[in-house]
Amino acid sequence: MLPLLLVSPLAAIACLALRGSRWTARVMLGAAALVLVQALMLAGRVLRGGPIEGAAGWLQADALSALVACIVSGMALACAAYGQYYMAEVATNERADARWAPGRYEALVLVLVGAMLLATLANNLGLLWIAIEASTLASALLVGYYRRPGAVEAGWKYLLLCSVGITLALLATVLLYYSAVHVYGEGPAGLRWTSLVAAAPRLDPRFVRLAFLFAFVGYGAKAGLAPMHSWLPDAYTQAPTPVAALMSTGLLATAFSALLRFHAVTAACVGPAWPNGLFMVFGALSMLVAIPFMLVQGEFKRLLAYSSIEHTGFLALAIGLGTPLATFGAMLHLVMQSLAKSLAFMVGGTLGRANDSRRMDHWSGVLAASPAVGVLFVGAGIGVAGLPPAGTFVSEWLALTGGFAGAHHTVALVALLAFVAVFTGLAFHWSRMALGRPRPRFADHLPAASRVPLWALLGLLVLFGLWLPGPVRALVEQAAKVVRP
Amino acid sequence: MNLSLPEWLPRSNTVNLLAGAFLLSALYAAAQRRVLAAVTAYRFNSLALGLIALVVAFVTGARHIALAALLVLATKAIAIPTLLARQVRRGRGATETEPIFGVPAGMLVCGALVVVAFSQTRALFGPGVSILASCLPASVASTLVGLFIMVSRRQAVMQVIGLVIVENAIFLAAVSLTYGMPLVVEMGVLLDLLVGVALFGMFVERIEETQGDSDTTRLTSLKG
Repeated sequence: MLPLLLVSPLAAIACLALRGSRWTARVMLGAAALVLVQALMLAGRVLRGGPIEGAAGWLQADALSALVACIVSGMALACAAYGQYYMAEVATNERADARWAPGRYEALVLVLVGAMLLATLANNLGLLWIAIEASTLASALLVGYYRRPGAVEAGWKYLLLCSVGITLALLATVLLYYSAVHVYGEGPAGLRWTSLVAAAPRLDPRFVRLAFLFAFVGYGAKAGLAPMHSWLPDAYTQAPTPVAALMSTGLLATAFSALLRFHAVTAACVGPAWPNGLFMVFGALSMLVAIPFMLVQGEFKRLLAYSSIEHTGFLALAIGLGTPLATFGAMLHLVMQSLAKSLAFMVGGTLGRANDSRRMDHWSGVLAASPAVGVLFVGAGIGVAGLPPAGTFVSEWLALTGGFAGAHHTVALVALLAFVAVFTGLAFHWSRMALGRPRPRFADHLPAASRVPLWALLGLLVLFGLWLPGPVRALVEQAAKVVRP
Repeated sequence: MNLSLPEWLPRSNTVNLLAGAFLLSALYAAAQRRVLAAVTAYRFNSLALGLIALVVAFVTGARHIALAALLVLATKAIAIPTLLARQVRRGRGATETEPIFGVPAGMLVCGALVVVAFSQTRALFGPGVSILASCLPASVASTLVGLFIMVSRRQAVMQVIGLVIVENAIFLAAVSLTYGMPLVVEMGVLLDLLVGVALFGMFVERIEETQGDSDTTRLTSLKG
């Protein structure tokens, strides 16, 4: 596990050392590829031999952490592969906005990736907190990358709201530690997630409940659950497109898995009904809150940001439904929504540059203007809306089937109706942008090579929608077992 | 390790006094119109926190608690207030702006929050849980006061001060519930906090750069 964690910080240092040269983008690409290979190898080891502990109990890798590590590193690779073209294009055409020397951007993205990987592999809840806070700090700087007033405002809101949230999560960590003091005494053992789960029935339920509430608010704010979501649309809109793609996939998965760690301890201590109820209520609320903003939205990145809130809400709701099939669907959805959302953000970045506008009413006739981008764009729309043959359809369908098989039919029905409403909104926006006459000023400045990662994402999304390879399926199944043993 | 605690500590006058100083300095920050005075209040707040941890370390004889206390003093009582004060002097944040609540009304709200905290902490945490009995209500009260500072002030630096006071209060809760978390974790938390405050300073500077002052209620360009 240690090499996996060390690659990105070391590459970040290398990027700072090479600041100003052309090598930084390549260093980031190489580091992301290396991280992905190691994450896949780790997943293979976990699949074969079960959970691994490392670094004297401070780190551990079970199927859930392996799954999230694969998502994070895969998204980092896509972000690096697309970002090298996108950021170069931004740097040449927007002198006033991008004043960063090349190197600092790459270094910060790598720090963000390193922090997310540390958060997924941390076994100690204190270490988890430190890593999540570090990811907030790195991503806040990236949200403020462009020095326009909007970016400053978004960065400030993001930093302040998530800092308050994370402070409450610190209180949650303290409370959980306290609830275990009479079992493990003072020392790192009382913060170890594996020991806490093992000793959960003996923990003080009053404090576990309090801890879960605070963790839910704190890490839920980071994941983008309503009503703590108000920073999210601004941050995603103002961040550079590759960073927004990374935040809406990797960071979301990381924060959500932190929530799942607290959920597992709480469910084992006070029974699953109470934490499940919270997940369902706030999951449904997030889905419903996002709908009106998606229906009447003018900006593409904002539309995707609200879609992220909707998807986080669905993840929480599916976990709350509580049946094994719904949990499996939720874990699968974590993968699928990452593929679909990063594809949508990146193809949106290409279109935004090509139309020289981020407003959707300035985009039209994408299919006619550039068939390649158009196909990717339509694929992204199908993925975000959850239609076949995209993988998101399968994961949503499985989770909802699991929900209808369980005890909470109304909640599953709410989710289903929310999906229908979201679909009408997305179909309206997408058909208006994809069809019709292209704008005369449409000019795609990005080279065809920048579309390679997008084709890869679309290919995986459709492949997983039609056929789930054995190892992937096994990993998702085991991750679901970690969440709900 | 199992730390045995002498009987007198929960009723220790030193700890009680320091907890009082902790709460009072948080209230002092809430009452101040001048940002620099609020930074000083935060400095005393952190000083009280560090001294409580030092007393606990002295009484229990645990070296890791003493080390954590010294680290708390170094970062929270010296480094962070210095960073914040420099930020205030350099920018235009030192000038008074009208708080959303007037000072008397704000003080009344803070008083109510303290009453709520002292009366309800026992109901929330149950009787007899706190090792340092006087610290837990003071910590809950300071959390609420810190959050109140964050929502009732316009200047960006004041909101940061509210946030770090909340953070201090949670550290106090950690000390009074469990003598603080493992040393490595505390070090990481303090490092994150230090970097976070530096980052906040950078954003405050940019806000002042783009809109001429640091009134965060005017940050409303992003909607929908």
